[in-house]
Amino acid sequence: MLDSIRPRKSTIFLYLMIPVAIYAFTVFVPLVTALVFSFFEWKGGPVKTFNGLTNYIALVNDATFWKAFGNNIYLVVACLIGQIGIAFLLVLLVNSKQARFKYIHRTFGFFPSTISAVCIGMIWTMVYHNQYGILNWFLTAIGRADLCQVWLNNTEHIMLIVTIPLIWQFIGYYMVIIFSAIASIDSQIFESAEIDGANAWQTATNITLPLIKNTMLVCITLCIAGNMKAFDNIYTMTKGGPGTSSMVMAMYGYKISFEQSNMGYGSSISVGIFVLSLLVIGGSQWLVKRITRRAEV
Amino acid sequence: MAKKGKLGVRKGISGFFINLVLWVFSLSCVFPLVWMLYSSLKEKRVFNADIIGLPKSPTLYNYIRILSNKDYHLAEAMFNSMRTTFLSIILIVLFSFVVGYILSRVRFKLNRPLYVVFLMGMLIPVHSLLVPIYVVFKSLNINDKWFTLLLPYVSFGLPMGVFLVEGFIKGIPISLEEAASIDGSSFSNTLWRIILPICQPILVTVAIIQVFSCWNEFAFALVLIKTVGLQTVPLALTQFKGQFASDYPKQMASMLLTMAPIVILYFVFNKEIIKGMVAGAVKG
Repeated sequence: MLDSIRPRKSTIFLYLMIPVAIYAFTVFVPLVTALVFSFFEWKGGPVKTFNGLTNYIALVNDATFWKAFGNNIYLVVACLIGQIGIAFLLVLLVNSKQARFKYIHRTFGFFPSTISAVCIGMIWTMVYHNQYGILNWFLTAIGRADLCQVWLNNTEHIMLIVTIPLIWQFIGYYMVIIFSAIASIDSQIFESAEIDGANAWQTATNITLPLIKNTMLVCITLCIAGNMKAFDNIYTMTKGGPGTSSMVMAMYGYKISFEQSNMGYGSSISVGIFVLSLLVIGGSQWLVKRITRRAEV
Repeated sequence: MAKKGKLGVRKGISGFFINLVLWVFSLSCVFPLVWMLYSSLKEKRVFNADIIGLPKSPTLYNYIRILSNKDYHLAEAMFNSMRTTFLSIILIVLFSFVVGYILSRVRFKLNRPLYVVFLMGMLIPVHSLLVPIYVVFKSLNINDKWFTLLLPYVSFGLPMGVFLVEGFIKGIPISLEEAASIDGSSFSNTLWRIILPICQPILVTVAIIQVFSCWNEFAFALVLIKTVGLQTVPLALTQFKGQFASDYPKQMASMLLTMAPIVILYFVFNKEIIKGMVAGAVKG
């Protein structure tokens, strides 16, 4: 056929060689390496001894690892409700006729999601600080000094405390995505709903939500994938502490591999993270699709 | 008439609350920035006495200390981040364009397998590569070099870029390339002279998304970079956090300095940036 669309094989090869080589080297070679080393006892030195499934047996019985996995799930659920839920409500408010300065809310709201998680973590460490934190300052100002505490040492509520910055950071992000999805809906649909006497809540749940179903699915996927890999925030704020109470999987893998330089076990944790994340992401998508399909029937 | 008036009042009250909620939310989003801006102009002693008040005698002392003291190497970290981000963006845009075009237009045996390989890149939980990448890079002695971070950043940015370009090119009529071919244009000539200019909007979108993710990336920099002189900004900041544990104005000043390029970029181009990020999220 035409030369421009059917170039010689050598041409395609030359164009694809470098990007594909870099990509395969950085993504697939480490995956295979991790799989191999996960069957070895290896403390980071030159000695590696094959020990079969020992690492995996240890992993399955490792309470800290499962606690970290549970904390990842906590993050996912809290952020699904906090980020996407609040974002959806705020979009409804922004879209109401009485709302003013929509453009400013969009620009300001989106801003935190462009800042690095390290900065966000540092800012919130300041907010939570015992002596110089805004939170304790505020509690004192409203006369509830009795509630003041060293927030990041609160073992009982630490997950909630580290999740709030994460939720806050990305509300605006999901708000903008949902906002643009709603903006693409034909406004006549809303007008006829208003004429039919639907109130704001009915319009939101019966008209808006079904029409932006696909965008919501994207948001849910992004949110789950994003929180399964939580690391930066946790590292900056608590490093998984106090104790292991805010440990997440990536943080645990890092600690085992680099602080205890237990590379063999670290590799099997990596494989564990890989499998569990895929299961959670894939499983949740399957579940959401099933639910939405049933709702349609 | 009375009824209408009542309704008007109700509308006014609900309008007030709607706007109140929106303002509380959006001001909370920029409050830290404002708070840090004026607090970084206080000395530590002044800040510790009053964390919320405006500085009575603003001083640039913190900034001068941070930038003049060689031990803090903040300028160096910013240079490293800029170089890594810049080179990553160039490579991601270039590779995404070439791979995306070939995958969407050229038919060859490995087209579909390759497509699946890049699709997998979007699904693979990258944080599970944190330890393995260190192991591989270390054994080949390519960790802790100035170019080290380019490899993961380019590889992780590539799948989304490829799919954005691929989807965009599907929307261009193929008759364009056929016409070029009839006029005697070679494959490479068509690719760079005709297709590249048309793809400019989507390539800008790819670049925008990646600027933020490269500049802000932390986990892989933490694992792969040990030399202080090669640290990127997020890495240098975590060290500052340790060094200035109780000196908040200095922490704030260092954060503001390193955030400055991104913040300025954002508030100047926020319309384009928001549009690009949304397009990337929804289509990618």
